[in-house]
Amino acid sequence: MIIHEKSVDKIEAILQTFIDESGATYVLLVDMGGNLLFKAGEGKFDGITLAALSAANYAATMEIAALIKEDNFSLLFHRGNNENIHFTKISEDILMIVLFKPFLSLGLLRLKIEHTQDKITDLIGSEEWQS
Amino acid sequence: MAIINLKEQTIQVKIIYYGPGRSGKTTNLEYIHSCLEKKMNGKVSKLISIDTKGDRTLFFDFFPVNLGTIAGFDLKLQLYTTPGQVKYEATRKLVLKGVDGIVFVADSLDSRQLANKESFENLIQNLNYHKLDLDSVQLIFQWNKRDIDENLISLTDIKEMEEQLNSKLKTKSFPSSAVTGMNVLKTVNYIAKKTVETVIENTVF
Repeated sequence: MIIHEKSVDKIEAILQTFIDESGATYVLLVDMGGNLLFKAGEGKFDGITLAALSAANYAATMEIAALIKEDNFSLLFHRGNNENIHFTKISEDILMIVLFKPFLSLGLLRLKIEHTQDKITDLIGSEEWQS
Repeated sequence: MAIINLKEQTIQVKIIYYGPGRSGKTTNLEYIHSCLEKKMNGKVSKLISIDTKGDRTLFFDFFPVNLGTIAGFDLKLQLYTTPGQVKYEATRKLVLKGVDGIVFVADSLDSRQLANKESFENLIQNLNYHKLDLDSVQLIFQWNKRDIDENLISLTDIKEMEEQLNSKLKTKSFPSSAVTGMNVLKTVNYIAKKTVETVIENTVF
């Protein structure tokens, strides 16, 4: 996959807006193979390792869903004492991972994720991205 | 699937160490990691191991490596192992998603030749699961455990191992010892170079 300079700028701007509006700590876009594609926000995390582990976690969860004859789990989320993490599949091959503080509302965050997902999928579907 | 980021001038490739249980996949990664730690004064990413209490790989081992520059691009390798044990088939096939290069770590012990063969057949099946085959990824072999004293444990001749696993592909192979480090760095350098060359060849900029 080739990621062009213009696309990087546009997606990073979308992710930064998401951070500003939602109050989330850190957001990553990763491919299902575990590669880190884009990130925004502030966090002292090893984004590359987080991407690899998150993709594996997501893939394993989807296998569990298949095993118990579920198409999907609509919520994939871990609650921590200081940080929560939420996973969303936003396209066939891209996963959005959001870290956020426990005092933020999960419902509101999910609305913001949905809105961001729409913007990103529009961009990924555009001719500019695919050229 | 390799990722080429034209803004950050980076190429990311995924290399997987595959092979039967206890053939030395994790030991390969541990050796590479310890060498890099020494070289970089500890400034390397942690080696992540998702394993059982008995130190058997349950899902994978992973660590990212920056391997310098190629054609003006920073080369970032993602090194993974797969679980070798037959019972971990479900997790093993997941790790192969997006693979660019494979090191097949074959066990040189006489008693493990059937396990090598079965694991190689399993690799082909699992590549098919991801709509890949041996032509669409780079693959090299490592004939591991060559440090073992043959007076104590019987090893299979390298020629025979080549015939069993590499007679059709005729790809590069290295006799190795992951425990002593023999040819471990050569293997990772070779697969990285070969994989990146192929990615660049197949990419229309």
